Amino acid sequence: MTQWKTLLGGTALSLLMAVSAQAEVTVLGWPGGPEEAALRAVTEIYNARSEVAEADKVNLLFTSRDGFFDKLQVDLAAGTTAFDINLIATYSIGKYAPFMEPITLSPEADAVFGDTVLSTMKFDGAQYGVPTDLSLHFMYYRRDLIDALMADDAAKAKYAEISMKYLGEALQPKDPDTWTWQDFAANALYFSQSVNPDSPTRYGTVLQMKNLLFNMMVFGPWPRSYGANWMDDAGNITVDSPAYRTALEMAKMLYDAGATPPDSTSYEYAEANAAYTAGQVAAMVQWNAAAGDLMAAQANTTAIAPPTGPDGRFTHIHGLGLGLNKASENKDGAKAFLTWLSTKDAALAYARAGGAPGLTAGTAAELAAERPDLVQVGEYASTYGFVMNGATSANALGVYEAQAKEFTGYWAGTQDLDTAMKNITASMTDLLK
Amino acid sequence: MTPSPKSARENAILATPLVGFLLLILGFPIVLSLVYGFSQTTFTTLNSPEFIGLENFSTVLNDASFWQAAWFSLRFAVITAVLQCAIGLALAVYLAPLIRRHGWMVAVLIIPMIVAPAMMGLMYRLVLHEFAGPIPHYMYAWFGWSPAFLNLSNVFKTVVVAETLQWMPFAFLLFLTAYTAIPQDMREAASVDGTRPWRMFWKIELPMLMPTVFVALFIRFIDGFRVFDNIYTLVGAGPGGSTTSMSIYIYEAFLRQGAIGKAMAAAILLFAAAFLLLTTIQRLMKGRSA
Repeated sequence: MTQWKTLLGGTALSLLMAVSAQAEVTVLGWPGGPEEAALRAVTEIYNARSEVAEADKVNLLFTSRDGFFDKLQVDLAAGTTAFDINLIATYSIGKYAPFMEPITLSPEADAVFGDTVLSTMKFDGAQYGVPTDLSLHFMYYRRDLIDALMADDAAKAKYAEISMKYLGEALQPKDPDTWTWQDFAANALYFSQSVNPDSPTRYGTVLQMKNLLFNMMVFGPWPRSYGANWMDDAGNITVDSPAYRTALEMAKMLYDAGATPPDSTSYEYAEANAAYTAGQVAAMVQWNAAAGDLMAAQANTTAIAPPTGPDGRFTHIHGLGLGLNKASENKDGAKAFLTWLSTKDAALAYARAGGAPGLTAGTAAELAAERPDLVQVGEYASTYGFVMNGATSANALGVYEAQAKEFTGYWAGTQDLDTAMKNITASMTDLLK
Repeated sequence: MTPSPKSARENAILATPLVGFLLLILGFPIVLSLVYGFSQTTFTTLNSPEFIGLENFSTVLNDASFWQAAWFSLRFAVITAVLQCAIGLALAVYLAPLIRRHGWMVAVLIIPMIVAPAMMGLMYRLVLHEFAGPIPHYMYAWFGWSPAFLNLSNVFKTVVVAETLQWMPFAFLLFLTAYTAIPQDMREAASVDGTRPWRMFWKIELPMLMPTVFVALFIRFIDGFRVFDNIYTLVGAGPGGSTTSMSIYIYEAFLRQGAIGKAMAAAILLFAAAFLLLTTIQRLMKGRSA
């Protein structure tokens, strides 16, 4: 009889523990890097709050970054209950929305993040996530090289001669903050030893031309500044445009001229950073996340918004955020955490712990001394940030994939521009119909 | 002797768990693949696939990227299998006397096989990088120039070399085992008759190694044809899909495009092609040995 009692008691305790474990809120976060450190910090703060019930405490779950979104896709489709809250990104919201639930943010979210940043977590008008980190692009350049060029008349003449030969107009070096993409190209050519053997750097720029969807995001501001978009308001695919063609042709010209490493067709984030930090590149467009590494390796580096074009100056923006799993077994606890995460206190704590939330000027000002980079990110996001029409749709990732395949094929020379345009128009028509 | 009905029944009973296990582990995914291959399926309709007949197969067969991937895989598999077997055979014959005295050399030679292919891809990504890799670094230091190992004109050669360096030891191991198994007295008899070493290799040793050569070529061909990890981590699908193997094509269709039916149709076609090839080779080998 005693044995039976012990067994029953043990079973009841196990069940209780299991129920209690299920009642906790599990968050699947973005592993490694500042995002994980920041999420850990705010979770500690949240769990220490007296009003958070024991059953609603937050646990964190991290997997590997490799294939993260593929694994997430499979987990969500299988209706997993292993996590209540999961990471989402602007470009994948549409893909995961069928497996998630819209959420309500705190009343102060508008003032903390602003419309542009909140919209990076929206799909079909509904808010699917709390924006935690904002990604955009900077143009990084070597101030020492530009200063030396501006102070040397012979170098200026050479610069004009090179730009005349490759771009059809004799350009003069100028302050990078006023560059057009023509100036960017002229500078890239001048600082490339294949074009100018006297160049102090081996390459004028480093373009990320690997067949990879993220590289299409880095390339995006270039055609956008010439007026490009994926679709018009009527839903017609407008990728085959003079804007896209101009930007693609300019990039190919730079690749063919040797202004970017010949292996650029296999370059992504890490390879491009390695080229720049080696001191062999004069200027590049890269994610804001690289600022610390690039500036630490090349002290004379300045980060500004990408160059301008006839249609304006743009930087691609997308957000990482956290949203609610439709299959969650503790939705109330998960919603409570997400609502708190969208408050000013949580956003500031997240930023102080190393995260990069996109904050309005007013909120970012409170961190100006500790995180001046966030002021710049917030300002650029609201001034230059853009999201292509259709880039939050269910098949946005597929569009980036298709562009990566067709555009890199053109750059590498496996197909001509007309074929690339025909193929990408067909793919995008199919994906965005 | 024909087994009695009782022992046949006992055999069936004993085999049931194994057959059941195989049906569960292999049968379920195969049935699921067949269902999805003939259906319109995405991640949102996994539980309600809509039967569309042969449409996915038609899509795949009319997709230029599929044929590009098939051609890449075929070329890659043939070249790497031949290279690995040729080098493996030469090394096995050349090093056999040395290895007979220093057996530990085998352990050193097969080290590349121990490394996971995905890690191998990442390692080459670092080693061949113009600014971070030691090979371009020393080439610039010594010759003032380095080839772009991963641009369009060189990338195929680079992945072939990487695959060959990693898996040649496998062929080497097979050939070494077969070569050392050739009876020594046969060689001694040939020597007594005045046969020169080169002629001994061509007329005696190589014919005896031929079954192993076929097996090695076949295994390496199959492995090469389904290559994924090292190429994907090194260069991805390649500019314009130039390094997209069949496995990468299926992976991208499934997870990146969410076109599950299309991916399954491609996988079924790949399976059918492999099955056909296997059967043909088996028949050829049977005919040869008959």
